[in-house]
Amino acid sequence: MAKKKVQYPNPDFWKYKDNMQLKPQMDNLKEVGGIFWEMLKETDWKKFGQDRIEDFKSDGARIKEEFAAFMGASNAEKIDLILHGEKHLGRLYRKGAMATVRREWRGIEDTAYDFWRWAKMWGMLLMTFSHDLIPALNMLFYYRWMVSYFCCHTFLDKNIMGLRGSNLRMSHLLIYDVFRYVAENLVFLAKCDEKNGNSRALNRKVVLFDEMTMGQIMAGFPDLLGIPYQLLPVFLVSEIDQLTCVPYIDAVESYGLPADTCPVPSSECGALVIDALPHMGSCFISSSMPCDGSTMASSYMSRRFPDLPVFHLCFPVRYLDEETVDMGAEDIKACIKFIEEQTGAKWSWDAYFEAMKRFNKETDYELQKWEVNKSAYPQLLGPCYELFRKWNYEMDGGNDPRILGTCEKVNKILLKAYENKEEPYPGKMKYRAIVWSCPAHYYANFSNWAANCWGINVLVEMESLNFTKHLETEDKEEALRDLARLYERMVMRRHTNGGYQNVVDELWLQCEQWNAPFIIMYQNVACKNMATVQGILDDQGRQRGYDMVWVEHDLMDPRTVSRRTMRDKVNSYMRTVKRAEPIDASLVEFEDEVCM
Amino acid sequence: MKDLKHLIYFESLLENADNDLVKQAQADGKLAIGYTCFHIPEVILNCDKCFSVRLRAPNTGSIDIATYYMSNYTCEFARALVERGIEGGYQFLDAMIGVDACSMMNRAMEHFEILGVSEKPGFFVTHTDMPYKITDYTLKSYVKQMRLRVLDRLTEVYGVDTSDAAIRKAVEEHNEVCRIISEISEMRKADNPVITGYEFHVLNLVTYTCPKYLILPKLRETLAELKKRKPDAVSPFRARVAIVGSEMDDPNLTKLIENCGALVVSDRYCFGSTPGREVIELRDDEDALTQICLHCMEVSECARYIADEKVLQRRETADRLAKEFKAEGIIYEQMKYCDYWGFERALVSHIMHDEYGWPVLSIDRLYNNGNSGQLRTRVQAFVESLEIKRIHSEEGK
Repeated sequence: MAKKKVQYPNPDFWKYKDNMQLKPQMDNLKEVGGIFWEMLKETDWKKFGQDRIEDFKSDGARIKEEFAAFMGASNAEKIDLILHGEKHLGRLYRKGAMATVRREWRGIEDTAYDFWRWAKMWGMLLMTFSHDLIPALNMLFYYRWMVSYFCCHTFLDKNIMGLRGSNLRMSHLLIYDVFRYVAENLVFLAKCDEKNGNSRALNRKVVLFDEMTMGQIMAGFPDLLGIPYQLLPVFLVSEIDQLTCVPYIDAVESYGLPADTCPVPSSECGALVIDALPHMGSCFISSSMPCDGSTMASSYMSRRFPDLPVFHLCFPVRYLDEETVDMGAEDIKACIKFIEEQTGAKWSWDAYFEAMKRFNKETDYELQKWEVNKSAYPQLLGPCYELFRKWNYEMDGGNDPRILGTCEKVNKILLKAYENKEEPYPGKMKYRAIVWSCPAHYYANFSNWAANCWGINVLVEMESLNFTKHLETEDKEEALRDLARLYERMVMRRHTNGGYQNVVDELWLQCEQWNAPFIIMYQNVACKNMATVQGILDDQGRQRGYDMVWVEHDLMDPRTVSRRTMRDKVNSYMRTVKRAEPIDASLVEFEDEVCM
Repeated sequence: MKDLKHLIYFESLLENADNDLVKQAQADGKLAIGYTCFHIPEVILNCDKCFSVRLRAPNTGSIDIATYYMSNYTCEFARALVERGIEGGYQFLDAMIGVDACSMMNRAMEHFEILGVSEKPGFFVTHTDMPYKITDYTLKSYVKQMRLRVLDRLTEVYGVDTSDAAIRKAVEEHNEVCRIISEISEMRKADNPVITGYEFHVLNLVTYTCPKYLILPKLRETLAELKKRKPDAVSPFRARVAIVGSEMDDPNLTKLIENCGALVVSDRYCFGSTPGREVIELRDDEDALTQICLHCMEVSECARYIADEKVLQRRETADRLAKEFKAEGIIYEQMKYCDYWGFERALVSHIMHDEYGWPVLSIDRLYNNGNSGQLRTRVQAFVESLEIKRIHSEEGK
């Protein structure tokens, strides 16, 4: 008998009926309408008009300058520009603009491909939202973070800046899956939220997960829907729009939380304080991961939603100590029992093993990517891949069978590109780099910028280098132990917890393996786990003769360290220590304080 | 009140981690075992020829070198320990029992290891994993950690007897210390107590930092003295407060608060007597180590315990202590940069005020605060607010 094809997400989830209450919606619309009206009244229309005129003038000047540059170029340069795209990407930014002034010209073929993927992405978003359009759009009138998702295409453009050929194609394929996951879950959030869709039937099927808690456990519950609760309203949206979380941080600091705590749990707690998270789900799986601040955010969640049953999933910190694995496995067992009790669903070993077989295959594909990137001809670089890797490892975890197809396609392109010795950023590879510590990648579009501006090609980042052992798919007891090992090595926790060896010794090992003597050391000014090894890293890095650029950042709080300040750290290092000249001088200085 | 006979002596013992009694015990052939956190059951470090020293860094001045290694936005207690270690202040230690409960303390212990702060032959640093909640399997893991990573290491390296009998013997001595401190603690419940918060803080701290068998005679004597001590006719204090929060091993902070007119009647913080000075009742039908570990888990008030029942326990304990010791307000304090207590203090200081009805002063502070003018101002304002509340209450407003 033919095996039943797994559909993901479960098609029933779309069909569950909403129970929207009209009166509260009307009241809310009235309130939002009032706010809009106030804004309209308070707008200085004269200045608004003047700004538009300035924009128009600026566009005119830019077009004139670009035309003059084109006409002044030699024939060979003109042909190169037409066929392979532009080389001065700093032109795309304008002071005070929230988006780039235009899309990037990548050459005829790549621009056409990029446009096709752009249109396909829009199509997917529209189709996904059309599953339940009214609650999804209604979310706009409840949550300010939802507005930022309308800039997702800008986010995409930023993440593929400067990419050409196979790298562009692979990046598009990978990021598409992430976008689809986000779109689908946004619709589910809207359907479930008591204020909004209020689908009681769907809520009974929804298990909420704490910040960054991995999704693999849900593979054993194919009839349930696991949602990383704060991922969409806080974490991910802040990568699209770095300013989204600022009001949450301010709210919780006004409440009394010290400003030195990590902005991730701070933002989550702040979102709870100002009621910016949907009220939904049948239960909540809180977690002690990845760090001390995250552990403590759980009590804020319980405070906001006291009626939501909670299970605290707590894994050993000293995860290299195999004596601790049993405790982790027992906790997973207890968590499964809790979910069964709360939802009435039954854990299915068959479903779990099937998903983990997919996950194992995806891990194999990932290792293949690493092998290529370790070589003299790395192929898949840039934020899309980095983001995909994290999401695939952490959130998808083999649950979605569609992902395997993407991995197959991407690796096919990858190997072909490797055979052809393509360059991911053509003509821009001067330094082989590794990124270490808590990433600020997407806030500053840093790896793309570093490659385009200085030729610093980031081959891999710390958060990609996680658990690669195949998970057990036959023995049930060992499978639980493997799952514990996997969870203990979740993104970031794998390195920042469990002993300094995991972050210090590991760095030197990876630098050797990837032949990457250039280290971009992201220094999240609120991450205590990393701050407490900064001297050791500095000492040992110097002894080894590596280039180490310390780049401070404060994740989703750009007021502490702006993106420009971050870039300046690299600029200064390159000029003073490396005495290098930029590949694209237009990217050395530009203003993007409010640019998404 | 007449000064306590041994107070100056006790204060002198707190001047250095390597104090006279530590030196004397080592001269007697005993082994000094350092630790910092309540998650490590103190009593098991007092087996056989070992004695526990809960590490402090008294009289900390500059912590520049530790700041280079651990940055300037991490826990000052952790940095002060590393600085003192680099200076050579912990050369006397025979072992350091690290605990991976909070990241900054764990890193401090790792720096002991990486930077080689002790050259003493046999010296080792061990790291242990701590549970976040109380279940049968977390208890089992905790016991295993204590056995494998602490007791077995002591046996392997120094031949220490860590048998059940040896542990039970250590518990007996430990319990005597606890009984004395608890009895003295009870005296703070009186309307006009015969002991100040500062004196109690000093007494309690020496029990953590000195070998038990050497400090016990002086403790017994002090208890007897306190029983006969006459309080001042009129208490010099204007209000009574309970302190709740994170690590606090500086008696000068208590002195600062009391100099502002607030008698500290309860000490629910790390290095305080709650938890830490509860008698451990052992049964014969179960191994001592398991019972001790469960005891530690149950009485622990660490903000790291994530489970709902422990979260509630912390609030209930703060409320209970404040009531039992007749406090009029609660000071929630947090070592600056402590993530656990940063989140806990922010939330619970609201809850204790809004739901439990306590006046609350919420502060974050540095490691050494004895001379903080800013803190003094805040405590003075709090004392005044408590006085005003009392006046209003007396006037029936």
